[in-house]
Amino acid sequence: MIYSLKSVTKFFRQSPERVQALNDITLQVQQGELLAVLGQSGAGKTTLFRLLNGTIRPTSGSVLFDGSDTASLSGRELRAMRRRVGTIYQQHNLVPSLTALENTLCGALGRMSLLATLSSVLQPAKSDVERAMHALESVGLADKRAARADELSGGQQQRLAAARVLMQSPDVILADEPTASLDPELAENLTSLLAALAREGHRTLIMALHKVDLALRHFPRVVGIRAGSLSFDVPPSEVHNDLLGGLYAQHDKGPRSRDGDPFQYQLRCAR
Amino acid sequence: MATPSSTSSVALDRVAAIQHSRLKARWILPASAGLLLLVLSWRFAEVRPDVLFRAATARATISFLAGLFPPDVSVNFLDTVWRALIQTVAIAITGTILSIVFALPLSVLATATLWRRGVLAAEGVPGFVFRLRSVGTRLARALLGFLRAVPDLVWALLFVAAVGLGPLAGTLALAVAYTGVLGRVYADVFDHVDPQPLEALQSTGATRIQIFLRGVWPQALPHLIAYSLYSFECCVRAAAVLGFVGAGGIGYEISISMRLFEYGQVLTLLLVLIALLTATDAISRYLRSRSGVNAGRVTEITRNRPVGILIHGYRRIGSRLLVAVLVATCFALAGFIPRTLFSAGIVGRFAGFALRMLPPDLSWSFVASFGTALLQTIAISVIGTFVGVGLATVLAVPATSTLILVHTDSPGNHRSASRILRWCLFWTTRLMLNVLRSIPEVVWVLICILAVGVGPFAGTIALGLHTAGVLGKLYAETMEEVPMRPVEALRSLGARPLQLLLWAIWPQARPLLTSYTVLRWEMNLRASTILGLVGGGGLGQAIYNNVQLGFYPRLSTLIVLIYALVLASDWIGERLRLSVA
Repeated sequence: MIYSLKSVTKFFRQSPERVQALNDITLQVQQGELLAVLGQSGAGKTTLFRLLNGTIRPTSGSVLFDGSDTASLSGRELRAMRRRVGTIYQQHNLVPSLTALENTLCGALGRMSLLATLSSVLQPAKSDVERAMHALESVGLADKRAARADELSGGQQQRLAAARVLMQSPDVILADEPTASLDPELAENLTSLLAALAREGHRTLIMALHKVDLALRHFPRVVGIRAGSLSFDVPPSEVHNDLLGGLYAQHDKGPRSRDGDPFQYQLRCAR
Repeated sequence: MATPSSTSSVALDRVAAIQHSRLKARWILPASAGLLLLVLSWRFAEVRPDVLFRAATARATISFLAGLFPPDVSVNFLDTVWRALIQTVAIAITGTILSIVFALPLSVLATATLWRRGVLAAEGVPGFVFRLRSVGTRLARALLGFLRAVPDLVWALLFVAAVGLGPLAGTLALAVAYTGVLGRVYADVFDHVDPQPLEALQSTGATRIQIFLRGVWPQALPHLIAYSLYSFECCVRAAAVLGFVGAGGIGYEISISMRLFEYGQVLTLLLVLIALLTATDAISRYLRSRSGVNAGRVTEITRNRPVGILIHGYRRIGSRLLVAVLVATCFALAGFIPRTLFSAGIVGRFAGFALRMLPPDLSWSFVASFGTALLQTIAISVIGTFVGVGLATVLAVPATSTLILVHTDSPGNHRSASRILRWCLFWTTRLMLNVLRSIPEVVWVLICILAVGVGPFAGTIALGLHTAGVLGKLYAETMEEVPMRPVEALRSLGARPLQLLLWAIWPQARPLLTSYTVLRWEMNLRASTILGLVGGGGLGQAIYNNVQLGFYPRLSTLIVLIYALVLASDWIGERLRLSVA
């Protein structure tokens, strides 16, 4: 069991009141499982991913990664856990002024020793560069290796974020709507690439998606989140229109407004 | 999508080759030039690190530090401190008011879009009147540039020589120096207003004055207020050190107490100074944040408190009276008392002093003699900045909250001992930076002289310490303000804080950090011309000597030299900033 969430609830403290992002989520994921997460924007998918990759802690309940509670890990153990979890973010979260190659190399940071970190600034290890080039090739960006991340198109940035995760070679891949800015063909390609990668390496893949058809085609398990709560957790054959209708109901805007962006909240706390 | 591995290794070699050659071409030349500059500067600034490790240096430093305690808080002395503090504030307020009054007309004259280009000058053939206007504009701008280039402490020295010791000299010095600073900024603001409303006004047949009052002024006002507030902050900083050349205020007391070896008094004065500067900082930041300048609209600014109150409240008779009384008090405290102003001969003395400075002494024997002082000044600024950047880099990292403090929402079991340790480290370095920054360069010079003796080395260390404070705070704030999403991404894949710094924060902050550093070097070059006034080497020494000896023609030569130096540093700084951007 790679993930075990026990009645996880997450509030963001925000003046004047607390905003509930996730409500009593209980979920178990086996190592090697492929899981699609469906839900409206604002339903709490991003918060769920940030809990899963060890960026934030739940307000109540517990997140167990490979059997140990993330809230009780030491700093070193927490880093070791994060190293095993790779995330592709909705906004890519690349370092804009670094080249594509350098951004890919960042995937290896968790494994670098302190000494290697210092020397990598001047001259990255040859083996790392080779692996990074290989990762760039497999997402079709080898010719863009010397371009700065902020010079790439939205779709290219998304693929670069995937290359960074390939470089990291984690046990778990979390992908938060990675296909949002891709055209249908590239979205299909990236999804099958990630799914194939997960199957080959017996890795876990948890992917948030807009496009229901992609989820149904590639994933043996589909989870729906609505207004911070688990709405369904079924194989794709059992996903019907009324299930989806409940998920994407227009009258319910979900608990979070746009200014309730958990990221803004984090920025304030960091002050 | 994968290609055979042979192609990939060829591509790889090519990448390596390109990167290698780029590394060579881009860095070898500037790096060696920089190294040469450092080595030469090291020599001319008479940097002797061995002096720092001598027993005598340690003894002097320890006896100074021990002498600081306990601070002198006797009623008698506190009374002196209080008077000095009030006088400093009065000098700063009066200097700011006067500089605004002088800067406004000069800046209007220096506004290019009003007189020689843009929509208002487009009509007709450039005739004689146009040429005259054009020359006038350029002259006004050059005058403002000159007033700004000569450091305020040099102006203070000149006014002390002209009108005697006391706050009046200091106030006049601030008024003149900040007329240059503000006039230049005002002119730039006027130049950059939106030209479309001006065109519209012109098409209705409005005169130039009407266009200025109805078109330029309303657009510029919020920015003028913001910059004037900022310049008040700088004036307080400057007013605190004018006393070192006898121009009144808290600096005068510091220099006296230093000379009397009354270090307890020095500590009291420094604490008061730090409190004053911190308070000014906070007030001015508060006023600017509330003034709605970012909105860039006058309606915003007048509606917003408290700047709005400053403007609207003034309309009420009672507050007008209060403001008038306060301003009059400030002027009186700053040395504008009828007895001094209208005393027989002050105007004559002033004019006589100005005339005696002319013509500048251009004899070869004199010009040849200040070559070393000039090189020394540049060397002090280079090494001082270098040392400051080094210290600032070391101090900025623990002062960056996003790197050091554990986020309250982070998972993991962070022991409270480690949290407290990090918290202490963060606030200790922040406090250190604030102290380094709040103590002016000239005060640092006096302290360093105690340790390493009079000379350029003392000036260099002093400049380095002050720069470390200024840049360290700026570096830390810049690194805190980089976009956090990439930082979070790298943290979530297991990167350590050092890796976050090198791979996510530094690449994003680099352009701003380098441009701040270059700007600081320009300011340091200006500062290193005055360090010599209190024994820190460089041109300041020559200026001080020639004032004391009454060689006024030489003084004007030196001032022209400083002007040239500042112009050159502006040019070099501009080029440097463009090349790193």
